[in-house]
Amino acid sequence: MDPSIPPQPIPDEDTQRFWDATARGDLELCRCRECRRWLQPPLERCSACGGATAFEPVQGTGEVHSYLVVRRPSVPGYLEDLPYVVALVELDEQPGLRLPGRMIDVDPEKVQIGDRVEAEIVDLPGGDYRVPVFRPVSSAG
Amino acid sequence: MPEAVVVGIGRTEYSRRSGRTTLAMAAEAGRAALADAGLEPGDVDGMASFQVTDSVINVFAAPAIGVDDLAWSADLYGGGDYAAGVVASAATAIATGQCTTALVFRSLNGRSGHRFGTVTGPIEVGGEGQFSAPHGYLVPPQWMAMWARRHQHVYGSTGEDLGQIAVTQREHAVPNPHAIARVPLTMDDYLAGRWIHEPLRVYDCAFEVDGAVALVLTTAERARDLPHRPVRLRGGAEAHCAGSWEQWPDLTTMYSAHAAPRLWSRTGLGPADIDVACLYDCFTYTVMATCEDFGFCGKGEVGDYFAEGRATYGGDVVVNPHGGLLSEGYVHGLNHHFEAVLQLRGDAGERQVPGAETALVTAGAGPYGGAVVYELGA
Repeated sequence: MDPSIPPQPIPDEDTQRFWDATARGDLELCRCRECRRWLQPPLERCSACGGATAFEPVQGTGEVHSYLVVRRPSVPGYLEDLPYVVALVELDEQPGLRLPGRMIDVDPEKVQIGDRVEAEIVDLPGGDYRVPVFRPVSSAG
Repeated sequence: MPEAVVVGIGRTEYSRRSGRTTLAMAAEAGRAALADAGLEPGDVDGMASFQVTDSVINVFAAPAIGVDDLAWSADLYGGGDYAAGVVASAATAIATGQCTTALVFRSLNGRSGHRFGTVTGPIEVGGEGQFSAPHGYLVPPQWMAMWARRHQHVYGSTGEDLGQIAVTQREHAVPNPHAIARVPLTMDDYLAGRWIHEPLRVYDCAFEVDGAVALVLTTAERARDLPHRPVRLRGGAEAHCAGSWEQWPDLTTMYSAHAAPRLWSRTGLGPADIDVACLYDCFTYTVMATCEDFGFCGKGEVGDYFAEGRATYGGDVVVNPHGGLLSEGYVHGLNHHFEAVLQLRGDAGERQVPGAETALVTAGAGPYGGAVVYELGA
């Protein structure tokens, strides 16, 4: 058991294209082709209208809706990064459309709710997956 | 329809390392509840429990205590969010004539076995967790830290406000011989507690234990011949909502924003009518959000509510007189029912809430949970 390897995703038929996109360095989320609503987590059919869905690129920009500072190694991985920040980022594409992600290049003491962030795709240690992380762009002040 | 009442309660010791199977503990708690009720295993024809593949299921627990035939059985898959619904389900089964006497239990080695707050690798995660787990964001204390931070941002609540909850509940646990944590806790102790996941400290988290709790429910008619005054289930309400831990619209509220109006409307009661509130407290923040949602105080007022003594003896309502999951121990919320019944019977000894006639038990956190109200029966 290697405590330095973070949990790896298990893609399924609904989520595979998210991971295909990050492997190419892109961030794409699931969107209804009918009502154009973004869906996270992805679904085969839209939860609102039942329409077919597809993955489309998002800008990867948004703001910190909330965050925590991970102080204790409760989950494998990132042990040398402790303490690190995990943010729940509300993306610009749609109110309430959120993605969780680690923040990079950030001082845990200085993060604030409302900070503007942008996504960057990085390698997930321990395998072939790549994941979006968030970098601060401007502070909420 | 027959009315369902609680006539017996039982439990094991709560410890850090039971050295026993969940089957053995379920059997002990079940037998204790039956003995308390003055009933025999042969009287039991229904059983309900909940678990997350960390415990024995009904068809093995029943024969272990001599119950040969379950006319009704429900193994619920879920955490504390089913700790109220599991009792309400048994009451419904009795009320609809599917069984007459039901045993409800929860048994877990929550400390020495699977611990909810920690994961050891390597692991792979599917479902919605595949988007969060790779960031090291996977366990309940992290979700609750995320939510608590949002509450602090929106309402200006503080670590000290959460601390008031931890300190009050510990004060309640001190005279409770069954509680795992009985050393008094001051605000200074709380603030000096190590960070788990900021903004949550160690004293914001439930005290994980090994143990089991069981309740016996039967019809009001059958209860007339039994030794204890029955405790009546006045009503219950559940809310298992869309949104998950990431997409839930307002992190300063929980399932309780939906369940509370349902509960008060069904029971014809309100927060002012409740004498004992066993609020599900996997974390202090759960108490904060649900205490507000159930209407005991306004949003952002919980710190003052506790600091002014309104949540303890002599106040508006006594919150978690046993110390709750934070201090009595994390038996996944079924111990809240044990305490509610004990208090309504007037058998809580040194920590008896004077004149307790109604008790609220809540269960769950985030988007998922429920609640029941108990009152003393005839």
